[in-house]
Amino acid sequence: MFKGMMKVFKMSCEDVYPLISESRDHPLPLCGRLRLKMHLAICGLCETYQKQLEILCRIARSLGKDESKALAETDMSPKVKEKIQKWIKEKI
Amino acid sequence: MSKVTLEPQKWVERYADMMYRYTLVRVKDPEVAEELVQSAFFAALKSQNSFAGKSSEKTWLFGILKHKTMDHFRNSKKNISVDLTAEENLIHFDASGHMVSKPGNWNINPEEAAENSELARVLAKCLNGLPEKFHRVFVLKEIDGMSSEEICNEFDIKPTNLWVILHRARNQLKLCLETNWLKTK
Repeated sequence: MFKGMMKVFKMSCEDVYPLISESRDHPLPLCGRLRLKMHLAICGLCETYQKQLEILCRIARSLGKDESKALAETDMSPKVKEKIQKWIKEKI
Repeated sequence: MSKVTLEPQKWVERYADMMYRYTLVRVKDPEVAEELVQSAFFAALKSQNSFAGKSSEKTWLFGILKHKTMDHFRNSKKNISVDLTAEENLIHFDASGHMVSKPGNWNINPEEAAENSELARVLAKCLNGLPEKFHRVFVLKEIDGMSSEEICNEFDIKPTNLWVILHRARNQLKLCLETNWLKTK
């Protein structure tokens, strides 16, 4: 019976890795959750992949903040700024 | 608490670069980013009377900019299609379905990563390499924190397609980070 259960839960990395990403976007069905959990418990490579996606998404979230320093040296073109400033001056 | 008043004559000096960078993360084209910031300033100036003074000037301007960026996504989404039937070969598996290559050793925890401006800079560059639709979906989901349901409604796509798009976008970005960040460590 145990062997039978293991067969049901057995998944290769190729089967699991889309679920790792998907689990970030919606709750997986119970069977999918169990299979993923069991695979991650025995597969270091997929566990690493899962951690890397977590890191990637954390960096992305930090990038979205208006105080993000990722593009700190990228300024708007002085010409465009001058144009906007001129327009504002005319309108107020 | 005293009411906040607007100072439009100082907007460009105070916020233009900040708003431009914010927009550039969300749209790939620098010219489009400039146009969006410009139209946000124009809209703000026209609707000065609607400013209640309860939030800061910066928060109010960024709110207008967010609306302008979302409008831009809505207006141009019809022209963007993506082929999800094409095979993806970014990660390789052997005949029994096991990963062939070991994921790189990033040696950083999620909290440290979120504070690492070098990583954010590399990711910002990597984002530009994503196909247009993948880029927008990833931005809304992971950068702006929009729900999967809202994104499906905005882009008129099925949840299963959304998951595939996000899965592929994440893989592409993960590999790009590994290539461009790990080698400089």
